[in-house]
Amino acid sequence: MSDSVSAPAPAPVTVLLVEDDEVIRRSVAMALERYGYRVLVAADGLTGLELFREGRHDLLLLDVMLPGLDGIGLCRRIRETATDPILMMSARGDALDVVSGLEAGADDYVVKPVDTPVLVARIRSLLRRAAFVPPVAEPAGPAEPAGPLVFGDLSLDPAALEVRRGGERIALAPTELRLLLEFAAHPGIVLDRQTLLREVWDYGWDGDTRVVDLCVQRLRKKIGAEHVETVRGFGYKWKR
Amino acid sequence: MPHFRSLRWKIVLLAALACASMALTVGVLVHDSVLRRSMHEGAGRAHVALATALEDATVAGEDGPRVSPGELPEALLRQVEHGGEATLYENEPPAPVFWAARREGGKLYAVEVDMTADLLTRQALDRHMWKYSLLTLGVVVPATALATELPARRLRRVARTARRITAGDLDARTGTVRGGDEVAEISAVVDSMADSLQQRIDTEQRFTADVAHELRTPLMGLVTSAELLPEGEVTDMVQSRVRVLRDLVEDLLEISRLDAGAETSQPGPVDLAALVRDSVARTGLAARVTEREAAVVESDPRRLDRIVSNLVVNAHRHGAGRVEIAVAGRTVTVRDHGPGFPADLLSHGPQRFRTGSAERGHGHGLGLTIASGQARVIGATLDFANAPDGGAVATLSLPQDGPPSEV
Repeated sequence: MSDSVSAPAPAPVTVLLVEDDEVIRRSVAMALERYGYRVLVAADGLTGLELFREGRHDLLLLDVMLPGLDGIGLCRRIRETATDPILMMSARGDALDVVSGLEAGADDYVVKPVDTPVLVARIRSLLRRAAFVPPVAEPAGPAEPAGPLVFGDLSLDPAALEVRRGGERIALAPTELRLLLEFAAHPGIVLDRQTLLREVWDYGWDGDTRVVDLCVQRLRKKIGAEHVETVRGFGYKWKR
Repeated sequence: MPHFRSLRWKIVLLAALACASMALTVGVLVHDSVLRRSMHEGAGRAHVALATALEDATVAGEDGPRVSPGELPEALLRQVEHGGEATLYENEPPAPVFWAARREGGKLYAVEVDMTADLLTRQALDRHMWKYSLLTLGVVVPATALATELPARRLRRVARTARRITAGDLDARTGTVRGGDEVAEISAVVDSMADSLQQRIDTEQRFTADVAHELRTPLMGLVTSAELLPEGEVTDMVQSRVRVLRDLVEDLLEISRLDAGAETSQPGPVDLAALVRDSVARTGLAARVTEREAAVVESDPRRLDRIVSNLVVNAHRHGAGRVEIAVAGRTVTVRDHGPGFPADLLSHGPQRFRTGSAERGHGHGLGLTIASGQARVIGATLDFANAPDGGAVATLSLPQDGPPSEV
């Protein structure tokens, strides 16, 4: 993380920050700008929603407790139409806040107070997921372009990052897509939560495994629960 | 199969006892009264037989049924000497008889009446009473056992619910109970107890969550702003104090979550030796880790890490000399070579903001409180002791893995 100060992001990435506390809003904006990000700020949920609709951002950083439309409601509204990467910031950090944020469709969360380097690391990891080039596309046999992978009614094109269920295209948030690709790359193999946290979320050892559980739940809702099997006490398995 | 001391078996035993004692009382009374009547009748018959024999003899002009004293039982003789006439029951082989004897004109007359039929009747009656008493017991005992099965099962359900609540499943309820008996009452009481417990914990949890929000929001502004300060001596001071304040707030919030019972274990398979090594490495402090038959346990890795790192940090902050960590089986021992734990801590356990004595240095004394609290959450025990050759020894013992279904 020490290299991050001197190396600004190559293209200016725009973060939409929605935070009601003025000091946090301004200091986080200034800190992120030092790391080379562009920051759009909103002090409440409705302003945040308007700025979101203008569509000048690459990533959303949402506080949970906001006047008017709160972060969870905002996240839900955004997820109705969009798959933009969303990072939640919670000052409560208890199960209820975290779970409802992730259920509403957030990709990840941080608990306040958070050091800027940690915040930047999470943002980068999330952006990597959003601009993900999957390793499954590597051809194993002949060098022809890999066709879509088919699992029952589900077809997954790792090159175009397109997922269809029964011919209909499904919109997946970056984390959900990344999780799906991770599963599809290891069919029939049990993946434990720590592995998924490491591979999908870029967490070290100590991530919150609820993030995995809730993202798997969201993914199941979108692609059909039958594809991902829960292996009690271990993790999850993709059915061939 | 319920325990032999179960209420059910006690009730069955009681019913059997009541049955048996009633049968015994009735049996003894009947036996006694039949015997008395039989003796009375026997004496009468013997008497009549003797009188008849004497009368017949007089009519016939013969001598009566004379006997020599030697032929008679001694007890009968004594009675005859005393009263002139007597009867006696004698139950000796070959057959039970009733004697009647009379002394008349210096001569001794006696007859005996056979009592075999009478004895057989009485024996048959006794046998019958035994047989039907046992038969009644044979019916009553299983019937009682069956009848007590339902209340016993309901009680067991209440006990199971209470056990689940104790184990932390606050959603466990006995549910609707039929009938208005004591079992229904205790079920309702257990349920309402769980309700109020749940409510209190909910309130506590909401409170700690709100406190967390109120504390962390300004702290977040402080942390981020402090990072923006230009480099310099003053900045270092501010940032260092901000870090201390932040750690302190996090520790306090963790303790209040532990106190509120808001923490629940999220178990998974953990390689104890690897976890301890990682955990020590992350503290960035020097410590020697030895392992012997370290187990793979079913536990919450994040909480284990909190415990181990708090123990190591505490050993460094308050102890002295080498810090040694031994992982053996399901236990982790952290020891240092300093002055040891203060007596107060050994007797009362860790208490927040009390480091005990000046020689253990400064600090807030929250680390061990947190370690103890987290150990409780994962069902482990954390013991504090002092080594005989000096130094503090903290021992974390993990419980045996429960059946996977309880996870």
